[in-house]
Amino acid sequence: MGLTLALLAVSLAPRVQSNAILAGSFQAAAAALAVWQAVLWLRLRGEPAGRSFQVVLRPQHYLQAAVQLSVFLYWGYFWRPVYDHAWLLVGQLLFAYAFDLLLAWSRRERYTLGFGPFPIIFSTNLFLWFRDDWFYLQFVMLAAGFMGKEFVRWRRDGHSTHIFNPSAFSLGLFSLILLATGTTDLTWGQDIASTLTLAPRIYLFLFLIGLVVMYAFSITLVAGSAAIVLFGSSALYSAVTGVPYFIDSEIPSAVFLGLHLLVTDPSTSPRTPLGKAVFGALYGAGVFALYALLGAMGLPTFYDKLLCVPLLNLSVQQIDRLAAAIRARREAAPRPAGMRAPAPAGLLQANPLHMAVWALFFGAMTVAGATDGRHRGDTVPFWEQACADGRPQACERLIQIETNYCGDNAGWACNELGRHHREGTVVPADPERALEYFAQACELRFQAGCVNLLDPASTVRADPRALDLRLLLREAGPNLLDMPEPMLYARACDHGWSFACRP
Amino acid sequence: MPPETHSPPLSDSQDANSPGVVGPAILAVLVLGAAAWLGLRQAPGDTEPATGAPPTSAAPAAMPGFRADAWFLPDEVELGFVEIAAGPFSMGADPTTDPEAFDNERWSATTAQGTVDLPAYFIGRYEVTVAQFAAFVAATGFPADPQAFDTPPDHPVANVSWPDALAYCRWLDAELRGSPQTPPALAERLGAGWRITLPSEAQWEKAARGIGGQRYPWGEEMRRDRAALQDGATVPVGSSPCPECAHGLLDMSGNVWEWTQSPLQPYPFDEEDRGDLDADALWVMRGGSFTDPARNLRTTTRGGADPGARRPFIGFRVAFSPPRP
Repeated sequence: MGLTLALLAVSLAPRVQSNAILAGSFQAAAAALAVWQAVLWLRLRGEPAGRSFQVVLRPQHYLQAAVQLSVFLYWGYFWRPVYDHAWLLVGQLLFAYAFDLLLAWSRRERYTLGFGPFPIIFSTNLFLWFRDDWFYLQFVMLAAGFMGKEFVRWRRDGHSTHIFNPSAFSLGLFSLILLATGTTDLTWGQDIASTLTLAPRIYLFLFLIGLVVMYAFSITLVAGSAAIVLFGSSALYSAVTGVPYFIDSEIPSAVFLGLHLLVTDPSTSPRTPLGKAVFGALYGAGVFALYALLGAMGLPTFYDKLLCVPLLNLSVQQIDRLAAAIRARREAAPRPAGMRAPAPAGLLQANPLHMAVWALFFGAMTVAGATDGRHRGDTVPFWEQACADGRPQACERLIQIETNYCGDNAGWACNELGRHHREGTVVPADPERALEYFAQACELRFQAGCVNLLDPASTVRADPRALDLRLLLREAGPNLLDMPEPMLYARACDHGWSFACRP
Repeated sequence: MPPETHSPPLSDSQDANSPGVVGPAILAVLVLGAAAWLGLRQAPGDTEPATGAPPTSAAPAAMPGFRADAWFLPDEVELGFVEIAAGPFSMGADPTTDPEAFDNERWSATTAQGTVDLPAYFIGRYEVTVAQFAAFVAATGFPADPQAFDTPPDHPVANVSWPDALAYCRWLDAELRGSPQTPPALAERLGAGWRITLPSEAQWEKAARGIGGQRYPWGEEMRRDRAALQDGATVPVGSSPCPECAHGLLDMSGNVWEWTQSPLQPYPFDEEDRGDLDADALWVMRGGSFTDPARNLRTTTRGGADPGARRPFIGFRVAFSPPRP
C-alpha cells in the first residue's frame, strides 16, 4: 500500500502534472494496484499462512542498475529530456516493485525483495518510453514484462526459469505491436536512439562501463562476438558497395548499448563459452539483417536491436546443446599422433583474456575511426555523390538523412526533399508531397522553397544558409548554434560542401 | 538487461512453479488489448478530427452575400472577381507630395515613382473570408492553424501563413477548373492558362489606388469611416462601404494585411524578381490592418513578413492572373 501511495504522490510532481493524460496514467496505475491489493487481502483473510518477504541483494541487480544509471546520467547531461524523465522513472520503479510483489504474493507466500526491478525498468527505459499522451502503455508494457518473467517459463538444467529477459521480452513484444499497428510515433524510441550520440565519446563511455559488466558477469563472449560480427559485416558491406551500411556509424550507438546491456542477461543466454559466442554472433547477425529488413519495409530501423532478443532467448537451449555436441565431438575425435589436444576448457572460460581481446578489438576500431569521431556517412554531400554514382541504397539513405534534417527545421533539406519529389529522379514523383516540403522550407524562410511553391514549372535550388549549416553539420552531435560563421563555413568546406570553400 | 540467476523459485508450494491458466490469460489480454487499442487508433474511419479541421460554425449553411454552393465566394456574376483593365500606372510614393511615405516606397535614387504596365487581371472584391478558407480546409484536410477559425465566418481569415494562402489559391484554382458553376468569363480564361494566385505587389497597388494614383483607396485624405482600423479586431468583409474606391474593391485598407506574391526587394519593382535566394525570405504584404496607424493604410505602404508568420492581423485576397509571356 505504501508503494501505491508513493506512486500516487509521484503523480502530483510538476513533471507528471504537466500533462493530464500522464497524470491520469499514474493515477490509473495506482488505482489498479490498490484494487489488486484489496482483492488479495480479501482472498487471504481466512488463510492461516500470511505473506512475507526476504531481502536478497544480488550484485547482478545492483551493479547492473548502477551501470545503467550512469548511462542515464551521462546521456542526460547532454540531452535534457532524460533528466526530465526522472520522475517518470521513479514512478515506474514504484509500480514495478508493487506489481512484482503483488504478483509474487498472489502465487506464493514469500517475495524476494532486492534490486531486481531496477535493471528491468532502467533497461526498458534506455530503449523505449511512451510519449506523455500514451504513457499508460508504459505501465502495460512493464506489466507484460513482469508477467512474462513469471508465467512464460521452462525447465532448464533441472530448474524452472523464465525464458525471456523480462525487459527484452516486453520491448520486443511492444516493438512488434507498434510496428504492426503503424504507431511507432507514440514513443520516444527514435529520439532515444539518435540522441545517444549527443553525449561526446559515447562509444568509449559504453565500452568502459561494459568492461565492468563483462568483468563481473563474464558476458564478454556475448557482447564481444556481437560487436565483432556487426563491425565485420558493416566493414564487409562498405568494402563491397563503397557506402556505409549504417548511415552515420559502423555500429549505431544504441545497438552498441544494447549488446552490452540488453542481450547479456546470464539467465536467458547460453551457459557454455561457445554457446555465448554463438549467441552474441547471432545477435549481431540478427541486428544486421533486421536493419535491412525494416528499412526495406519502410519501417523505423531502430527496432532492429529489440526484436531479435526474444527469439534468441527462445534458442538458448538449442544453442547450448549445439555447443555441447561440438565440444563432445571434438573431444571424441581421434587425433593423429603428435597433434596437440584441444584447448582446455579453462582457456575458453578465461574471461579476463576475452576482455583483453575485446579491448584490443575496440581499440583497433577506434583507431580506424569506426567508433567515436567523424564518420564519412555523416555528411549530406557524401550521400548526394553516392546517390549520383548509383551506389546501393544511397538514394534511400540520402532521402532518409534529408528527412531527418528537414524534421530538425533545416529549410535547405526540406527544399531538397521537395525537389526530389517534384523531379522524380531519386524518388517517385509526387507533386503534392513536393508542395508540402516546399511549404515547410518556405515557412522556415528558405527563399528557394517559397519560389518553388509559387512556380510549379521550375525548381530552384540554393546553398544552405548559415542557420541550415548549424543543423546540417551537427552530424549526430549537438547543434552548432554558437559556432562563429567563419568556423562554420570552414567546417562545411571540410565536410564536403564545396560552396563553403569559395573565398 | 536484468540478469537473473536460475536459482530454484522461492515458492512455498509446488503449484506456484506452474504458470497455470489465469496468469498467461491476463498477459495475453494485456498484450492483445494494447495491440487492439493501438490498431484501432489507425483504423479507417477514425473519429479523431483531422488536424486543423474547421469547426462547423466556420462554414455555416448560408451566409448573406455569399454562395454556400460555390465555395462561399461572393454572390455576384463573376463570383467576386473584379477585372482590372490592362495599362500602365504609377507605382511607389513621392515623398515631396506624400510626407508620410516610407523610404522603401521610393522608386530609385533619382525617381520618386515608376510606371508599371500590367496586362489585364482580376482581383477579389473582398479579402478571403473565414468561411471560404474553412471550405478549403474541410475539402482537403489541410492542416490549418485552428486560430484561423477563431473569428466569425464573414470576417477575413487571419492566422494564415504565406504558404497557407497559396495552398488556398491552388485549391480554388482546381475547383474552378473542374466545376460547371464557374462563370464563363473565368472558365474561358482558365482554359487559356490563367491562374488563381496571390496578387503581385504591382497588381495589388494598381487595384488599390487606381490609375489616379490615390494615396488611400478612396482619395487623398484619411477617412476612418472607409476602413476597419484600430478597433481591436477584424470586422466582416465589406462592412466599410467605399463608393469612392477604385474598381469597387473593399477593405483594401485596414481589416487585415494582405499577402502578395512578391518578395520584399528594393524598388524598382521587377515582376520577375524572385528575391535573394541566399537571404532569409521576406514577402510583401499590403493594406495595413485593424492594428495599424493611418500611415500604414496608404496604398503604397509596403510591409514585409516572414512567410511562416501566422498572425491575427495578416490575411489575403486572391487574384486571377494571365500566364506570364
